[in-house]
Amino acid sequence: MQASANETYLNATVGIRSWLLTTDHKRIALMFFAGITFFFFIGGVAATLIRFELITPGPTLGSADFYNRLFTMHGIVMVWFFLIPSIPTTLGNFMLPLMIGARDLAFPKLNLTSWYLYMAGGLLTIAALILGGVDTGWTFYEPYSTFYATGYLILAITGIVVSGFSSILTGLNFIVTTHTLRAPGMTWYRLPVFVWSLYSTSVILVLATPVLAMTLLMLIAERVFHVGIFSPQLGGDPLLFQHMFWFYSHPAVYIMILPSMGVISEIVPAFSSKPLFGYGFVVWCSIAIGGIGFLVWGHHMFVAGQSLYASLAFSFLSYLVAVPSAIKVFNWTATMHEGWIRFSAPMLYAFGFIGLFTIGGLTGLFLAALPIDVHVTDTYFVVAHFHYIMVGGAVMGYFAGLHYWWPKITGRLYPDYWARFAAIVAFFGFNLTFFPQFILGYLGMPRRYQVYPPEFQVWQVLSSTGASVLAVGYALPLFYFAWSILKGPRASANPWGATGLEWTARSPPPPENFTKVPTVVRPAYQYVRGKPCMQAGDV
Amino acid sequence: MSRATIWRCWLALVLLLTATTASAFVPLGAFNLVVSLVIAITKALIVLLFFMELSASRALVRAFAAAGFFWLLIMIVLTGADYWHRTDVRAPIDMTTSY
Amino acid sequence: MSDRTLGFQYATPAQQREASTLGMWTFLATEVLFLGTLVAAYLNYRIYHPHEIIEAARHTKIVLGTANTGVLLTSSACMAMAVRSVDDQARRSAVWWLLATALLGILFVAIKGYEYFEEFQEHLVPALNFDFTRYGPVGELFFTWYFAVTGFHAVHLVIGIVIVLIAAGLLAADRFPDTMSVRIIGLYWHFVDIVWIFLFPLIYLAGRAH
Repeated sequence: MQASANETYLNATVGIRSWLLTTDHKRIALMFFAGITFFFFIGGVAATLIRFELITPGPTLGSADFYNRLFTMHGIVMVWFFLIPSIPTTLGNFMLPLMIGARDLAFPKLNLTSWYLYMAGGLLTIAALILGGVDTGWTFYEPYSTFYATGYLILAITGIVVSGFSSILTGLNFIVTTHTLRAPGMTWYRLPVFVWSLYSTSVILVLATPVLAMTLLMLIAERVFHVGIFSPQLGGDPLLFQHMFWFYSHPAVYIMILPSMGVISEIVPAFSSKPLFGYGFVVWCSIAIGGIGFLVWGHHMFVAGQSLYASLAFSFLSYLVAVPSAIKVFNWTATMHEGWIRFSAPMLYAFGFIGLFTIGGLTGLFLAALPIDVHVTDTYFVVAHFHYIMVGGAVMGYFAGLHYWWPKITGRLYPDYWARFAAIVAFFGFNLTFFPQFILGYLGMPRRYQVYPPEFQVWQVLSSTGASVLAVGYALPLFYFAWSILKGPRASANPWGATGLEWTARSPPPPENFTKVPTVVRPAYQYVRGKPCMQAGDV
Repeated sequence: MSRATIWRCWLALVLLLTATTASAFVPLGAFNLVVSLVIAITKALIVLLFFMELSASRALVRAFAAAGFFWLLIMIVLTGADYWHRTDVRAPIDMTTSY
Repeated sequence: MSDRTLGFQYATPAQQREASTLGMWTFLATEVLFLGTLVAAYLNYRIYHPHEIIEAARHTKIVLGTANTGVLLTSSACMAMAVRSVDDQARRSAVWWLLATALLGILFVAIKGYEYFEEFQEHLVPALNFDFTRYGPVGELFFTWYFAVTGFHAVHLVIGIVIVLIAAGLLAADRFPDTMSVRIIGLYWHFVDIVWIFLFPLIYLAGRAH
């Protein structure tokens, strides 16, 4: 298999069929990237409209019903069609085989199937949202969603179930790939932390998503056939729906944040030119977060009528998950200590991640505390908290990873000046958007309301102002990435001086990733006086 | 796995099936469920260990097989922790509202 | 029975076999959670409605259910024999054992269908003809669950029957990809059996001692 020096996965074959029927994990990753960017845009439009609506205390753009549909659309699209698949299916799909020295994932056709399921699910749900929308909120709580809600609920939920099977296939593929396709010498403790994070994420995807699928199928059955499953007036228990919904949807938060943590664990050593501090701790904390993440879902139900005994147990377990998260933050910080730090764009995003995730995590402790949660349940405090984790954490990590691996994916460099500018704008925009919401929540502003008392307006306007700054921060990459593809300077194989196997492949990589299967000789993140020691080959 | 083992397993499964059905007619109160679930777990273990060859598999494959059941147990135990201790007053069942 | 050509992402056939085995077990783990959700729902509702659920369960057909469990357990033994025959390079007997497996699967579906028919006649089918005055609303809850869980199980079984028949056909024509695949199909078949092993006491044995 003698490949020419210019052949890359991008130009090896041409034509639309060579993309739509490809089994190359790198091309599938790019196809996922296109889909995810599209859904991020849709969800972003909804977010913009929400913030626009909330500028005035009364109705601004439309009726309360319109507002209900707006935040439902924002939630559904962002959670299921952006946040959950974002890093695993794009960066993970692209990088996992490269990082472990494999030529592809274990099941390439399954990988392609996953993309088709994702797109089919996404389009079904979008169709439902365009046809008239859904007004239940992204949580579909019973019995409202079965007997009272109007709109194309069944269509939207079918889309979510279909895309759930996409998640399952991707998770299955990653797990088997990590177990079977590691290059010679790539032992478990030599794996980059990003691979460990993806592994932990995949375990959640595989074990939690089926529960959501079954729960939503039962919801559909109840709505279509008018039979009792969860509805109290038919002998069911709506709390059972909440239990099963959150059995998936709380671990889903870790599906979003764990890959981001993995990205940060790659970037911090690379831009500090130092080994990752406490590799073993970071690795096992990733696994621990994945495991403990399954034991905490009941903190969503403290005021829902769950028994006090269960609430106490879930409150305690929720505290527990903070421990591994905190250990990670300490490890990243310690990695930077006395490092050769370069303030490039990926590193700035990583800084943003660490700061925002810490705030999100600490406010999470407030919410894990049973008495405080009773006070702030369903207020903007909760909204601000989970946006700090999901946007400040997961999305920042996604952008960090995108900037970090962009030269590898496209073979081009982007203007670092603009990228750093965008990172800083996004950081300040984000804080301006969501910090006022902590205050609003503490003052008692409930979530999901279109109207609010006039004295809250100053905080709401601040938040909306921040949202427009944040939008600029998220839009800028579109422009300089486009410029980079067209006119950016060529990237070398290892532009950042990182140590992973993916940086030994050409930029962009050839279709088979490595011309010769690499042999791994040392752990990840080895630096000698700021100089990288590649995992494969000589220093 | 030898042919003899397969049919010995089959015999054990059928005997356990007879036992579980018979036990259901003995009034034991809540223990009826316990007995039938213990027998079900035994039957499932026979199928897992012999028919699905886990007894001859590496620890990794066994761990994969156990993971699903373990996570299901998490769901059952933690939802059960709620249901065992419920003290709430329930809404009356009223079927007229839904039709 | 030759080994299929090696996927280009694999270095050795052993690696490929390992990937298939782990892939199937991972898939089965997702299935445990998928169908297990319904089992968890049942157990919690039994705590929630301790008497009504048991009362409703007594309307299920225990004779048919027990017979069907025996049919499915036997089909699993046949499947194990098919794998054994493949290991012994006994292609013809493997085909016969696969056919026996599929036939027992079909028998299970037939008995299940007859059971559904009887339940329909007794007005036990929610959304179609459920008799609330006789069985009560929690009765409907139970039978909704019953039809959902046995329905999902039957769908899994039918998929299994189709796959086993295809495998038997390919094996008879000596065009079977490799020996590993029969094992993988077997894992799926046995799993469907295990699901039923747990459903059987929950559906049929509750409340028989009163």
